[in-house]
Amino acid sequence: MTGTSLIAAPAISPSLDEADRRFAAKRRRSLYVGALVFAGLAALPYAIRDVYLQNVLVLTLLYAALSQSWNILGGYCGQISLGHALYFGIGAYATSILFVNYGVSPWLGLGFGAVLAASVALAIGWPCFRLGGHYFSIATIVIAEAGLLLVQNWDFVGGAMGVQWPFNPDSWATLQFARDKIPYAHLALGLLVATWLVTFLVAESRWGYGWRAVKDDPAAAQSLGVEVFRSKMAAAAISAFFTAVGGGLYASYVSYIDPESVMSFRFSLLFALPAVLGGVGTLWGALVGAAILIPITEISRSYLGGTGSGIDLIFYGGLVMVVAIARPEGVLSLFKRTRAARNEEV
Amino acid sequence: MLRRREILAAGALALAGLGSQRATAADEVVVGVLYALSGASAQNGVDARHAFETALDVINESHDLDLPAAKGAGLEGLGGARIRLVIADHQGDPQKGRAEAERLITQDKVIAIVGAYQSSVSATVSAVCERYGVPFVCADSSSPSLSRRNLKYFFRPAANDEMFSAAMFDFMDGLRKQGKTIDSVSLFYEDTIYGIDSSNVQRKLANERGYRIAADVKYKSNSPSLTAEVQALKSAGADVLLPTCYTNDAILLTKTMGELGYKPKAIIAQAAGFSEKSVYDAVGDKLQGLISRASFSLDLAAKRPSVGIVNAMYRKRADRDLNDNTSRQFTAMLVLADALNRAGSTDGAKLRAALAATDIPGTRTIMPWKKVIFDAGGQNPDATPVLIQYVGTTFVTVFPESAAVAPAIWPMNA
Repeated sequence: MTGTSLIAAPAISPSLDEADRRFAAKRRRSLYVGALVFAGLAALPYAIRDVYLQNVLVLTLLYAALSQSWNILGGYCGQISLGHALYFGIGAYATSILFVNYGVSPWLGLGFGAVLAASVALAIGWPCFRLGGHYFSIATIVIAEAGLLLVQNWDFVGGAMGVQWPFNPDSWATLQFARDKIPYAHLALGLLVATWLVTFLVAESRWGYGWRAVKDDPAAAQSLGVEVFRSKMAAAAISAFFTAVGGGLYASYVSYIDPESVMSFRFSLLFALPAVLGGVGTLWGALVGAAILIPITEISRSYLGGTGSGIDLIFYGGLVMVVAIARPEGVLSLFKRTRAARNEEV
Repeated sequence: MLRRREILAAGALALAGLGSQRATAADEVVVGVLYALSGASAQNGVDARHAFETALDVINESHDLDLPAAKGAGLEGLGGARIRLVIADHQGDPQKGRAEAERLITQDKVIAIVGAYQSSVSATVSAVCERYGVPFVCADSSSPSLSRRNLKYFFRPAANDEMFSAAMFDFMDGLRKQGKTIDSVSLFYEDTIYGIDSSNVQRKLANERGYRIAADVKYKSNSPSLTAEVQALKSAGADVLLPTCYTNDAILLTKTMGELGYKPKAIIAQAAGFSEKSVYDAVGDKLQGLISRASFSLDLAAKRPSVGIVNAMYRKRADRDLNDNTSRQFTAMLVLADALNRAGSTDGAKLRAALAATDIPGTRTIMPWKKVIFDAGGQNPDATPVLIQYVGTTFVTVFPESAAVAPAIWPMNA
């Protein structure tokens, strides 16, 4: 909000210094809050002794990170992608194939997959960002499905048989931990912190303002000198980069991947949903959304799914519907409103 | 924590149909059961539950059946302890299967896990079991690669797809010797680990044994239309069609063949969809004379009374007959109970050793197998498959001769 007023503000204003100072203080506060929250999350896996709950934590952090990556393109730049499963799959497959077939360290695999995914995002963006609105979303779905079919029929990457990671002893070098979940929790948290920091830094930069302008009105943004096409391309590349890292971590975590289990359409939805639920285009929306969504789906499936009656899925669908109706701007908007109301009173 | 456990335990008990007969914790052996209970293959999970409940009835109550662990209530080797099941839903997702397996092992302290239908899920579940030293009895995933990973805690009493496909080609070789003309086969398989594995073996066997592959058609599972695929099969017009697909696709394939007027001369199916009752309810009239590989055949009841009795017990619960999948699930639980009796302990390593030493003659199972033993990879090499033919409204065993009730009607559509 401050951003738009800054851009729109006349060149010289007596209150500009004051606004600048307040803005910097607010940024510092955000950073402190971030440091505090992430420090708490880093300690959390030690407090949870139960392996199953640790698994829920790993998934929550991972989906928060993946959703935050999606948020960069979908939330800030307003380009709703429903094909991020493609980048996730690229990361998962690049890491797995390099490690399993060629013995390349998964760390290098993560980097390679991320760069590959970013390049693919640029290659896809080149034609697709010329499409407006819903047409872009539809194109992303189709391209991701095509990617799934390609991988399913590509023997070099294991085709439909998938890739099984070897049973190695625990090691940070190979990202393999047989029973220990804490390293995975920290890896996922690391990715979340990285995506959060990138969002934090970019959101208030020239690029960030450009993205939000493109989201609000591409034509108006262009008339103000925002390079719409390049903005979208940059957002897509960053978003794909981190999504692929998440895919690689997921592969090392599950130790077995096949096309359906990393590239199916439901992943594309799962990346968008937490951000949408928590608050699209916000710094904390993805984490809040994931912290609600993932534990509920995991735990309800585990403790209600065994009945085979589908109660857990009804519950899940009901939750999404309630939020969509009651808080279309996401759960975070609850807090915003109370704060705005408080400010008005002052 | 405690409350959640109690709720869970109560739920599991209600499921297991034990109700108030609950034994004290000390007399209980907890076994994890992992299936997809929601999603596309949910029906299989529901049927599996009935199969395991039937097995539990046999094990926990006293029955005069010539089956392992049937006589006497509970597990003799463990002082009459009863088996209790904890059932979990993996939704066909390898990641969820892995997480549920960990939960069952760490929270519910299961002493073994039985599952998991989808081969991809069995792959991750068995890896978790290996890491925790808890035996995994693979009831019904038939991907050959599963037993090639040198896992110590993986046991598969039933045949894998390699053995199934070999039986199909043995059968065709036999027909050839009788003077029937079988020159070509068409492969039709879905694009999953199950379909690909099956087709790889069939392609290899066809080449080795001199059958021309007229068409080699891979299709997308759960696809909305199979028109193009069926047209390819029709124009190839092979002597035998070898389909590998699950329920929905099996129905769609049959319907599309009817619409396009393609009547294959013969069909030998890789079970799965073609052993599901729902397929025959929907399109059974178009499948007269279809032959499917099977782990199980009901007409074995004529030779072995226990088959009929167990089927009646299952029927009471599920309102349908035992099939290829449910019979394997039932047997997997009995194989586990037999090992528990011999181990006299629920310790993972001891139970593993007992499982590895399993030697149950086929006549003491409800299956047409030679016996139940395990090789180094955990595969039972003596799980002799049978071929069954759909005639009227039932299946008749036609191969191998030792189990056959009637000669095969060949070809299916002259």
